[in-house]
Amino acid sequence: MRVLVVEDEVDLADAVARGLRREGYAVDVAYDGDEALDKLSINEYDVICLDLNLPGTDGIEVTRRLRLERKEPSAPRVLMLTARDQPRDRVVGLDEGADDYLIKPFDFDELKARVRALLRRDAGRSGALMRVGDLELDTARHEARRAEHDLSLTPKEFSLLRYFMSRAGQVLSQEDLLEHVWDEHADPFTNTVRVTVMTLRRKLAEAGEGQPIETVVGRGYRLREGS
Amino acid sequence: MSSVNQWEMPTWSSNRLPEWMRSIRFRYTLLYSGVLFGLAALVIGAIYLILWISLHEPMSIINGRVIDRFSGQSFSVDIVTARQFERLVHQQTLERLRTFSFEALIVLFFASLVVGWVVAGRVLAPIGRITGVAREIQATDLSRRIRLQGPNDELKQLADTFDAMLARIDAAFAAQQQFLADASHELRNPLAIIRTNADLALTDKDPQVDELRQAVVVVKRASDRMARLVDDLLALARRESPTFAIEQVDLGRAVTEASEEFLAPAEARGIVLDRAVAPGVVVMGDGDALKRAVANLLENAVRLAPSGSRIRLAVGSERGLAWIAVSDEGPGIAPEHQPRVFDRFWRADKGRSRADGGTGLGLSIVRQIAQSHGGDVQLQSKLGVGSTFTIWLPVANVSSDPARSLTSGAPR
Repeated sequence: MRVLVVEDEVDLADAVARGLRREGYAVDVAYDGDEALDKLSINEYDVICLDLNLPGTDGIEVTRRLRLERKEPSAPRVLMLTARDQPRDRVVGLDEGADDYLIKPFDFDELKARVRALLRRDAGRSGALMRVGDLELDTARHEARRAEHDLSLTPKEFSLLRYFMSRAGQVLSQEDLLEHVWDEHADPFTNTVRVTVMTLRRKLAEAGEGQPIETVVGRGYRLREGS
Repeated sequence: MSSVNQWEMPTWSSNRLPEWMRSIRFRYTLLYSGVLFGLAALVIGAIYLILWISLHEPMSIINGRVIDRFSGQSFSVDIVTARQFERLVHQQTLERLRTFSFEALIVLFFASLVVGWVVAGRVLAPIGRITGVAREIQATDLSRRIRLQGPNDELKQLADTFDAMLARIDAAFAAQQQFLADASHELRNPLAIIRTNADLALTDKDPQVDELRQAVVVVKRASDRMARLVDDLLALARRESPTFAIEQVDLGRAVTEASEEFLAPAEARGIVLDRAVAPGVVVMGDGDALKRAVANLLENAVRLAPSGSRIRLAVGSERGLAWIAVSDEGPGIAPEHQPRVFDRFWRADKGRSRADGGTGLGLSIVRQIAQSHGGDVQLQSKLGVGSTFTIWLPVANVSSDPARSLTSGAPR
């Protein structure tokens, strides 16, 4: 899951990014609206944490452009962050296509919960628990289980599994995985995706019967639904 | 029980009257019919009196006897002249006139009451409208106006005055709310930084010393910013209340003192701070506030001027006005931005200035201090050349010859 944090307060942007990275998200940071639009045009994001009050192109304008240029299924979810406590700004933001909002100063646990909730909307789930076949993922507590066995995953493996489970049954290319699980600092020419998929598959195989992640030759990987 | 509640102020006796009797309309009607009736009665009475006096001269009527030629009987008769006869007829008419005019006066009394009531109602109707609208306007919705139609008479002017007053209150209220919203916005950002960093540090399962130290540095930076902001907000709020110390302030000394703390930062940035302070310029006011105004101007100048440039600080007086001028060779302010630089929280470039540590209140504090001293602050600026801020203040009466203080403006 890839998140873009757009915030002109450098200290706040960095803190939010650090906290979200700790949750296993791939996080990029933009310090103003134009930088955010640049990154949005290059990378695929699942969620944007967007400050409304930005120098230059403001948050409302970023949301508006995003909705104009992107069609619904691929458009990232927008979580507005705003320091204005009057409803007017939030109403405009929500009307322009933001999905949720938080008023500064916010509780970081709440931010995490709202990001999870926005990601759930895509997957059509309710609650923090994801289940595919005998795989179980608690996105709030960062716990993964296969057939009641606890899996000990690195944050990257956890993020990878979470992405696979949110797109169960779909064929995901290495590029898809690199886009959504790694941030912009990842080198696209290394085989880091392949290596991480390999270690994840090994850990999954150790915990239960069969291999839930299959290779689709020439196209990528797929997590089998209801195996 | 209810009667106690109904008359909350029983001290004034007329409060016991029913409401319609306490109304202006009732009093106006009484006055109107009273005056009309009184005038009519006076005119009719006067006419009657004049006629009565003119007709009531003593009249001697001769008694005579008339003997009937046929029967030989004699009758006693009053013998009057033609003129006397005329006067007797007049007297009778006068009697009738009195009866009629008395009845007419009674009718007139009631008619004037009715006419008075109607006329008073018509005159007072716009006031009723004004009252109605004023009653509907709540403190939260000041957007409504009376907008009285009709000729430009006294009541229209009253309604227009009310409208103008409402507009002013509305604007002041909106400005106040905007200020509150801006202030809370400015306070929420550093607060969010502090809270997020604290949350992250507290929930870190494997905290590294370097990370924690970094978090503390960030929290310190954010809380410093909040402290500056709170200081500035309080300074503004304090300025708004009229009570501040009034004393004789030697402007030269105050400005020199205020500039001391900027010598080191200016030098550190390679900026020369020139001071040309005329002695003997005295104003009435709050010395600390004036020092603060100068400090705010110098702080901006030192922060924005390029290294190797020169900042000039000068004090002087001319034609009964003292002035403090701060010029820099900084980037300057674009003409379209110049009218807004004294607005609260206004920044030419939001992102950059906030990172620089300015609160966005410095110049509005300067303006408020200048204006509360009966003066003002002026800006002359050219992009790429520099800016000059000048504070003008009225000179205190004790000041010596202004010409001398102007010429002796040598750098100290």
